[in-house]
Amino acid sequence: MFAFIVRRLLLAIPTLFGVLVVTFLLLNVAPGDPVTEMVGERADSATIARLRKDLHLDEPRLKQFTLYAGGVLRGNLGNSYITQRPILRDILERFPKTLLLAGSAMLLASILGITLGVLSARNPGGWFDRLGLGVAYLGISFPVYWVGLILILVFAVMLRWLPPSGYGGIKYLILPAFALGSRSIAFLARVTRSAMLDVLGGDFVRTARAKGLRERVVIVRHALRNALIPIITVLGLDFGYYLTGSILTETIFSWPGLGRYVVNAITRRDLPAIQGSVLFLSVVFVLVNLLTDLAYAKADPRVAYS
Amino acid sequence: MDPALSTDVPTGRAVAYIFDGLTRFTPDAKVVPGLAKSWDVTPDGMTYTFHLRSGVKFHNGAPFTAKNVVSTFQRVLDPKTKGGRGWPLYPIKGAEDFAGGKGQAITGLASPDDSTVVITLKEPLAIFPKLLAMPVTSIVPDNAGSDLGQKPVGTGPWKFVEWKHDDYLKFAKNPDYFDGAPKADSLMARIVPEMSTATAEFEAGNVDVLTVPDETGKSWEADPDKKKLLQSAPALRFWYVAINTTRGPLSDVRVRQALNYAVDVNTILSAVMAGRGTAANGVVPPTLAGYDASRKPYGHDIAKAKQLLAAAGHPGGIDVELWAANTDQSPRLSQAIQANLAEAGIRAKLVQREASSVREAARKGAADLYVKEWWADYPDAENFLFPLLHSKNKGPGGNVSFYSNSKFDALIDQAHREQDETKRNALYSQADAMQFNDAPMLYLFFYKDMYAIQPWIHGFTVPAVFNGQRWTDVTIGK
Repeated sequence: MFAFIVRRLLLAIPTLFGVLVVTFLLLNVAPGDPVTEMVGERADSATIARLRKDLHLDEPRLKQFTLYAGGVLRGNLGNSYITQRPILRDILERFPKTLLLAGSAMLLASILGITLGVLSARNPGGWFDRLGLGVAYLGISFPVYWVGLILILVFAVMLRWLPPSGYGGIKYLILPAFALGSRSIAFLARVTRSAMLDVLGGDFVRTARAKGLRERVVIVRHALRNALIPIITVLGLDFGYYLTGSILTETIFSWPGLGRYVVNAITRRDLPAIQGSVLFLSVVFVLVNLLTDLAYAKADPRVAYS
Repeated sequence: MDPALSTDVPTGRAVAYIFDGLTRFTPDAKVVPGLAKSWDVTPDGMTYTFHLRSGVKFHNGAPFTAKNVVSTFQRVLDPKTKGGRGWPLYPIKGAEDFAGGKGQAITGLASPDDSTVVITLKEPLAIFPKLLAMPVTSIVPDNAGSDLGQKPVGTGPWKFVEWKHDDYLKFAKNPDYFDGAPKADSLMARIVPEMSTATAEFEAGNVDVLTVPDETGKSWEADPDKKKLLQSAPALRFWYVAINTTRGPLSDVRVRQALNYAVDVNTILSAVMAGRGTAANGVVPPTLAGYDASRKPYGHDIAKAKQLLAAAGHPGGIDVELWAANTDQSPRLSQAIQANLAEAGIRAKLVQREASSVREAARKGAADLYVKEWWADYPDAENFLFPLLHSKNKGPGGNVSFYSNSKFDALIDQAHREQDETKRNALYSQADAMQFNDAPMLYLFFYKDMYAIQPWIHGFTVPAVFNGQRWTDVTIGK
């Protein structure tokens, strides 16, 4: 197990290096000059030339890359072109908020999605199953920004139950978490349903029922446990979606997380901030994938890593 | 919120709450004394003597003196500050050299005693006091480090309390403010990126004052309850399409005039901008001296557009690229303009990219037509005529039409030297008429700002210039 983790972490190094190279190249070939953004609408050529030199933008690409990569290796993601604050500090300030939002959305999606899936599977073709199917279709079809705006309109403006946007206590968290999790609820419900149906037809379920176990115990302890593998896969894969989805959700709900930071950085051509955020999110993604794999082993004793 | 680094409107607004310049703008765009209680200018217009207020203290208790002015201006220009906006101070003798790393001090800047600042310009510039009301020239305390942007300390009506990044900014009143403490106790600026969310916050009663998006404004104006909350005023914002006068057929004035006749500005204004503005008859907006109400906009005349194109040798029309940012109103504006141009036989290919790359291409001269907006930095006709059209400012300076007309330049240069307000404004009118005829741009409209104000808020007026509203007269009551 330990050797497996170490090997996976070592394998992550070339992956992250690749991310570093690709983002650097993409940002450099994309049109648009960061200095244009820094100086605003009215500027003079001397200032532009001076800033380009200060930021090493006048150096050859390879030199720029080695300067940047050298900084990254020393744990320095550079300073923002716009605010001149250290990028790493900005990221570490915002990431916990994104993690809170993504985590809440995931929790919400797991509870609602799995429950919905299990209940649908108990009586396939029944009214609840069909209702669940309808809900799932809607959840998958509606884009997150639309769901977000509708939630704001209904629960904040019309009913006034919750604040429309902002960051604070749990009441600020409910709407964005639900908006971000809506697609996953639908997806998880469908995956859980089909996994459960596969399992419920198994001999061991019949045996459990024959032993006289209560239905709830049969479903939760015997069937669901065996249906968990595909559910974990979906949850792990969805994590990437939570990170990208947070970009839209955070913008709509004015949530001061990393997603909004990235959007700001992109519109303002803040190259080190974009690069730093992408790299950081890649690290998170690699770690989540590792955790997903470890969760397989926990859920299914037949899976063992060495 | 470091004044030396402020180049955008939201930062500029926040800087105006916390800091003071030697001068400042009122909401109706007049320039009035700030930290300088008065100033004299020599008859040749070269030397300004600013008499500073005494007894003013920074929020940290340090006294404000003339030395702060000198160190602030040096800080703005110092290459180590990495600021992008030194130009408002370049008129000072030696300032540009200092910014370029040449020279130990700004030769034209002196503080003979604690309450006097003497500024010598490199050439006369009648609008100079207005440049000192810009965010970048706000006075900062001594030893202001790089932390000033995070924990700003100024002399202004509001003290900085807290900045939750991407969430809100909080200010408390400065009870000792030299111009009278603000009437309200605190001020909070919410940072909401999505306009429909901000609108929802206003409707939920969580926000007191809102800048109303175009379409929302239209529907609220039709709602009697909402209409009562709305306040609008002409802004110093000008929408236009820069025509690169150096590219192909666009170098012909007849073609440029044809473009102007081809576009139905009034229809676009009502369909795309919810009627928020008035058709432009030049670059000087109606609220500023130098505006000439007697000049008519080009008007919509397809036949005339075709006739001008034919006269210029393009009876079959021309092909151009129309560049626009993919944000805000730009995409819809550019599509409407494209459709109008097509009626006159002008085949415009849309190039939509994100704002900074469109701007960069236009600055390099790579865009034929570029849909854009200009926000005034200071309320003066000069702020439209000089950056947008003087040949000195081609490219990054703001003249992305690459317009070059020595007679026009001469008028603007003369206006810069002219100390008499009336004569100066007459020169602006004349220059505006001249360029309007040369049509280095497709004149769209002067925008109107609209705010919604909750019934419990009193004393708010819509500012004409973005940093003209400092919330000092605003009160909260039932």
